[in-house]
Amino acid sequence: MTSRRTPNLMRRWLTQALLPLAAMACSLGAQAAPPLKVGYSDWPGWVAWQVAIDKGWFKEAGVDVKFEWFDYSASMDAFAAGKIDAVTMTNGDALVTGAGGAKSVMIVLTDYSNGNDMIVAKAGIKSVADLKGKKVAVEQGLVEHLLLENALKKVGMKDTDVTLVNAKTNEMPQVLTAKDVVAVGAWQPVSGEAMKAVPGSHPIYTSADEPGLIYDGVAVNPASAKARRADWLKLVKVWDKVVAYIDDPKTQPDAVKIMAARSGITPAEYLPLLKGTKLLSLAAGSKVYVKGEGFTSLYGSTKIVDGFNLKEGVYKAPQNVDSYLDPSFTNAK
Amino acid sequence: MIARKLGSFLLPLLVWSLVSYLPFIWHPKVQVEAPGGVDYFLPGMLVDREEFAQQSADMRQQGLALPTGVPANPIYLPAPHQVAKALYTAFTTEPEQKDAPWLHESLWQSIQIILWGFLLSSAIGVPLGIVCGTYQSVGRLSEPFIEFFRYLPAPAFGALAVAVLGIYDGPKIAIIVIGTFFQQVLIIANTTRKLEATLIEAARTLGTRGVRLITRVVLPGILPDLYRDQRILLGWAWTYLIVAELIGTSSGITFFITQQARYQHFENVYAAMLIIGVIGFGSDLLLGRLGHFLFPWDRTRDRT
Amino acid sequence: MTDHLQQTPEVKERFAQIYEREAILEVQHLGKRYVTAKGETEALRDINFRVHRRELVCVIGPSGCGKSTLIRILAGLESLSSGAVLVDGKPVSGPGRDRGMVFQGYSLFPWLTVKGNVMFGPEMSGHPHNIADGMARQWLELVGLTKFADAYPHELSGGMRQRVAIARALVNEPRILLMDEPFGALDAQTRAKMQSHLLDIWKNLDITILFITHDLDEAIYLADRILVLKAHPGEVQELIEVPVPRPRTPGQSMTAEFRATRAHLESLIHPPEVEAGTPEEAAVLGQSHMIRFTNVTDNVE
Ligand SMILES: Nc1ncnc2c1ncn2[C@@H]1O[C@H](COP(=O)(O)OP(=O)(O)OP(=O)(O)O)[C@@H](O)[C@H]1O
Ligand SMILES: [Mg+2]
Repeated sequence: MTSRRTPNLMRRWLTQALLPLAAMACSLGAQAAPPLKVGYSDWPGWVAWQVAIDKGWFKEAGVDVKFEWFDYSASMDAFAAGKIDAVTMTNGDALVTGAGGAKSVMIVLTDYSNGNDMIVAKAGIKSVADLKGKKVAVEQGLVEHLLLENALKKVGMKDTDVTLVNAKTNEMPQVLTAKDVVAVGAWQPVSGEAMKAVPGSHPIYTSADEPGLIYDGVAVNPASAKARRADWLKLVKVWDKVVAYIDDPKTQPDAVKIMAARSGITPAEYLPLLKGTKLLSLAAGSKVYVKGEGFTSLYGSTKIVDGFNLKEGVYKAPQNVDSYLDPSFTNAK
Repeated sequence: MIARKLGSFLLPLLVWSLVSYLPFIWHPKVQVEAPGGVDYFLPGMLVDREEFAQQSADMRQQGLALPTGVPANPIYLPAPHQVAKALYTAFTTEPEQKDAPWLHESLWQSIQIILWGFLLSSAIGVPLGIVCGTYQSVGRLSEPFIEFFRYLPAPAFGALAVAVLGIYDGPKIAIIVIGTFFQQVLIIANTTRKLEATLIEAARTLGTRGVRLITRVVLPGILPDLYRDQRILLGWAWTYLIVAELIGTSSGITFFITQQARYQHFENVYAAMLIIGVIGFGSDLLLGRLGHFLFPWDRTRDRT
Repeated sequence: MTDHLQQTPEVKERFAQIYEREAILEVQHLGKRYVTAKGETEALRDINFRVHRRELVCVIGPSGCGKSTLIRILAGLESLSSGAVLVDGKPVSGPGRDRGMVFQGYSLFPWLTVKGNVMFGPEMSGHPHNIADGMARQWLELVGLTKFADAYPHELSGGMRQRVAIARALVNEPRILLMDEPFGALDAQTRAKMQSHLLDIWKNLDITILFITHDLDEAIYLADRILVLKAHPGEVQELIEVPVPRPRTPGQSMTAEFRATRAHLESLIHPPEVEAGTPEEAAVLGQSHMIRFTNVTDNVE
């Protein structure tokens, strides 16, 4: 959804500039109050938590947790300011937020994008190779930019082989109607709207072609992860139940109904969005939480994002990727 | 008077209705009913009229089934009855999500944010503005700084506001305050300066001095104008709501708008905008009437 | 032709009486300079005069000669640059209740009713509401506005407003009433009524009046003495004793002493080598090269 990954460079800069103040404020105000506070926002892998909330599964599991609904950028601001204990975000944004000073550890993966992120091209363009020398619009420094780079690399090109046009993700449907732009990068539902805006346009590359390009999860304040480890473990356990409930064809309609209500649309509209997201059970998460290279490893994927962020000047110093990932919660028996 | 004001809405409404219901006026799109042989057409999809004609011609040539469709306006221009229906359902249907607020509750939440923001801003801004306008020395000392500050965009303070005030209503109210306060001081200082100097002099020759010059002369002297300024500033505060409610936890009416816009449910967006408009316009109309009643001596009131 | 200096024995006797009374206002070597971004203006230079108790003195002079400046300094609304102003022998510093002021533009408080305006002074000096109310009623009756007690200033005619302004100043029981062209904006009839009304009030109160006007007849009709100022810088040109006997009536304007005084004032204010005060005046006198906006053949003369 467009709310996911909307931070632009300006916002990042501001957050960093204001962070010393934020840190000061949180040192004044944060005496860990009993309920865990988690900020979540409009992305299927995170809206999924709504099922557990509505069903009362946290109470059953004996963990006192309060989920707060945010706009994605706002949720990261609140986390950076120390106002919430955890936030749902992408592994890439965890690095960006951490580079700004608010370190986190990702204790559980919720999903990876499985088709929701896409490069949409006009009718004449049959494959990624056809983009050579043409104008392609992406929001610079964000995941779709990374997706495009990945797509180009696979056919032996670099992002200098196409002419990049920097545009806001929300505006991609209109950008695609421009004569000389042949393709745009966007995630759902913007990518879907882009296809509606230009009949005949179609995805030529999606996150399903490179599963693991973007991982989503719950990132926790390291201090809280340590101090309230038992509570966080219980929360992670609930996740398995959520995934099972959504994936089970028998209960899926009920789950989709709950999720659609959270997003303010109809279940029918919601279903395709869910399909573009691969939810990860704890077992599936464990397989990804292993050190390795490439996108099949959370570590490998995060390293690639780190390199990309450095190259794009999102932050200056490379991040210690290992410190952002803690497999022990997901792997706990 | 009110009837005349409402009258000015009739023309736009008429234009909107004509554009919505008379297909030959605009309707640049075709809404697909049956895709026929066109591989990428889907029922309900909006395509350009030319595109639809082109595809129909292609299908005829290839001897495939023709697509069918009806003229339609772009998705961002819903018809009046769709908006009216959205308005009705928004207030009458229970929210899908458990424990989620009803629309009128979201609305009330937004109104409270505005009112608190405006009250806090006024509590400091009005007295400060009057003092700045009355005493040149104070004005010269503080106004350049305020002048500078008012150019800083209120939304830029979002992250800071959250850091200091938490994630609930505090930072939202703070954004309204930041957006209103600086303008308020300058505008009210200016209004105060425009008070006829001889009124103050007359009061001084009658034995008034010190604080009573402000409470007994300046304040009543500018009150009708101050009231008008406050009405304008209140409208201003509303425009910051959309930014304020995206800070911290998502809530209120403008969150509903951005959420619905994201999924291109424009009839809901228009309905919510309509509600805000009605509340803003209605309250201003009400305050205007109240002004007539409160300031019987105010001669400029006939113009408002 | 009679001279303005000729006085009948009765008039002489009257002036002797006036000068016997104590001087209530003394202006000594008064000077005023305005310093602005554009430079310095000398508005007043070395002004000397004294006013006795219950005297009525008018001040006249060409526009811009510093009449308003003078009266504002006396009221304490403006600082002086040199010299001294003494009221009852004490130097003036700031406005005080011993000096009431009536402004040319009425300056009534628009948010207060007529009665509220008159009560303003007594309330400021700490009188309880009911006492102030009583005082205001009494004064409204004196100026004949009882019926309009609850009206707002904007609902009154110009003459009525000026009567409220006078009542508002007098209710404070000042020693001196300072008036800056108070009737300047009124039509001739109303003006004449207000003049005799003012004389009435003055006669019955222990009040000293300093009255600015640019109307020579008004000055002669009202004043015991007339202070004539000249412009650039504002200096005292003459202080004239008006030889017209009291009580004054409008009919006196045809008398010899009235006309002599008027002629003398005329010669002071508009010397023979006509030095027009304002451009408008010059235009009226046909001495400026005014652009013609009409066809030459379309001559109205
Ligand atoms: N606040 C001020 N600052 C600078 N100059 C001033 C100020 N007030 C008055 N003056 C100047 O002082 C001179 C006297 O002005 P003043 O208003 O006293 O004249 P006046 O005799 O009352 O004129 P009029 O008959 O037109 O009312 C004028 O030259 C005027 O320009
Ligand atoms: Mg004057």
